[in-house]
Amino acid sequence: MKISGQTSRPGRIAVSALPDPTASTMRLSVFDTFRDGRGLDALLVLLTLVYLIVFGLAPILYTVLMSLQQVDMFTLGDFSRPFVGFANYVDVLTRPEAGMVARHTLVFVALSVACQLVLGFALALFFQQDFPGAGIMRGLFLAAWIMPGLVVGGIWRWMLAGDNGVVNSLLAVTHLHPTKIFWMSDPATSLYAVTIANIWLGIPFNMLLLSVGLAAIPKDLYEAAQLDGAGPVERFRSITLPMMRATLGALVSLSVIFTLQQFDLFAGMTQGGPSNSSNVAQFWSWQLSFQTYDIAGGSTIAVLMIAVVIGVATLYVRSTRHEQIG
Amino acid sequence: MKRYLLTAIGIGITGAYLFPLYWMYATALKDDAEIVQYPPTLVPQRPFWNVGEVFFGRHMPSYLWNSLVVAVGVTALVIVLGTGCAYVLGRARGRWVDALLFFVLMMQVLPSSLVVTPLFVGFNLAGLLGTPRLAVILAQTAKALPFYVVICRASFAGVPRDLEEAALVDGHSRLAAFFHIAVPLARNGILVAAVLVFLQSFGEYVFARSMISDDGLQTATVGLSAFLGPNTSDWHGIMTYSAIYVTPILIIFVLLQRRIVAGLTAGAIK
Repeated sequence: MKISGQTSRPGRIAVSALPDPTASTMRLSVFDTFRDGRGLDALLVLLTLVYLIVFGLAPILYTVLMSLQQVDMFTLGDFSRPFVGFANYVDVLTRPEAGMVARHTLVFVALSVACQLVLGFALALFFQQDFPGAGIMRGLFLAAWIMPGLVVGGIWRWMLAGDNGVVNSLLAVTHLHPTKIFWMSDPATSLYAVTIANIWLGIPFNMLLLSVGLAAIPKDLYEAAQLDGAGPVERFRSITLPMMRATLGALVSLSVIFTLQQFDLFAGMTQGGPSNSSNVAQFWSWQLSFQTYDIAGGSTIAVLMIAVVIGVATLYVRSTRHEQIG
Repeated sequence: MKRYLLTAIGIGITGAYLFPLYWMYATALKDDAEIVQYPPTLVPQRPFWNVGEVFFGRHMPSYLWNSLVVAVGVTALVIVLGTGCAYVLGRARGRWVDALLFFVLMMQVLPSSLVVTPLFVGFNLAGLLGTPRLAVILAQTAKALPFYVVICRASFAGVPRDLEEAALVDGHSRLAAFFHIAVPLARNGILVAAVLVFLQSFGEYVFARSMISDDGLQTATVGLSAFLGPNTSDWHGIMTYSAIYVTPILIIFVLLQRRIVAGLTAGAIK
């Protein structure tokens, strides 16, 4: 900003040689508006906006384009590639693993979101009570949220190890499951292994947002209900749940979005295997693009999943709007 | 009395939840014989420290340096590009502000593992893969920028407008009011958002894995994933690597914990 101001000074001399004297005042006022007027807002917003259009929106549009083209190792470096219509979509969706991956994605998202919500809600209710250290402990949960996902994947893979993992040992000691479970290598459990790690990772965020929602409920509502003789369960059902509806709606959509972003745990724990038994759409898309160089296939799944994510995000934005009105 | 009972239960729950972190450190301190022991020992019996061998043997200085380059690059770029936008979105009202915010939110929700395909192809065409760390910085900035704007916007919205107006009456420009009044007053939110962006980028995996092919330029997550191969058994080494990598992150977190919680909740509500 300052630099453009200094360069406009010598510019004024040059401009004064022009026949139209208003030109110089024009230049000054353009500069002034960026320093002082609406132009400043526009400039500041444009910095972010242009960046996000170039590195956010354009790639999405480019994926859509690539999903309609033939893109492989040979055409990767070309600017124009042959169009194939919807052949990529037909190809990807009729692959034998497509139905399985879709089902896994659904199970992964549904289980993760439901368990994170229930556990997060229980923890938020517990730490909502007034006791020494409640706030600090609640904050400590976020330590999990801040960890690199790949490290979390590594730790859980080690904890869930079949032969000498601590989880199997715990299950044996508590007589819940005396025999060893080979969490990662058994196709029947591999998806659940990643889901457990993802639930662990998502609990703090759920707990934090629910705590905020709980703190916003007026205390006198509970006192009034207590005077009317309502027990804790009744108070939870008739006050807490209805008052938290907007928060819960927003939280479910956010959790779905975050769960669909989960990639590192799959990379760190199962690589989607064994034989795709723990593969989900966002990992499959990457595998196709970067491990088998089927970039058209990867793009096609990306387009489908981005549509899903944007749909859920739109629901989220609408639910926060309702919160503001109501 | 009941309050202290609740504290005890709370400590138990928090401890159980954070057990995986403890397990990482405990495993890093066990020798190979103790690691294969089943049932596992909860506390390392013969504490055994192997930091130097893992740190240099797995080329961690180079990996950590590259992660730091990426994280610093992303954080700097995000602060320069996003702070002003967050300020305007926290101040202005109207239809176009709503539309812009909607667009920013939509850019925030895109999964990296889906966006990386077009970015890779596009960067390849643009010749950016020749400078792969820059490519990762540019990609990760697009991911972190919306998050930063949303969190910072909340703290700018909390800065009283009349302070700025007083500065304008005194003859300062709006730009000066932004730098000398709004930014200092919103510094808590800016700091929290910047730290979170830094930590996210320090642990970034998808973009680095997909765009950086030269091992000398690779980041710490990718170094770890090479260590985490399909048939790995060196859990002592992996957990030592993880502990070295994660400890600075956890220290930053503990130091700023209160501010992080406050900043995140403010960003989530407003």
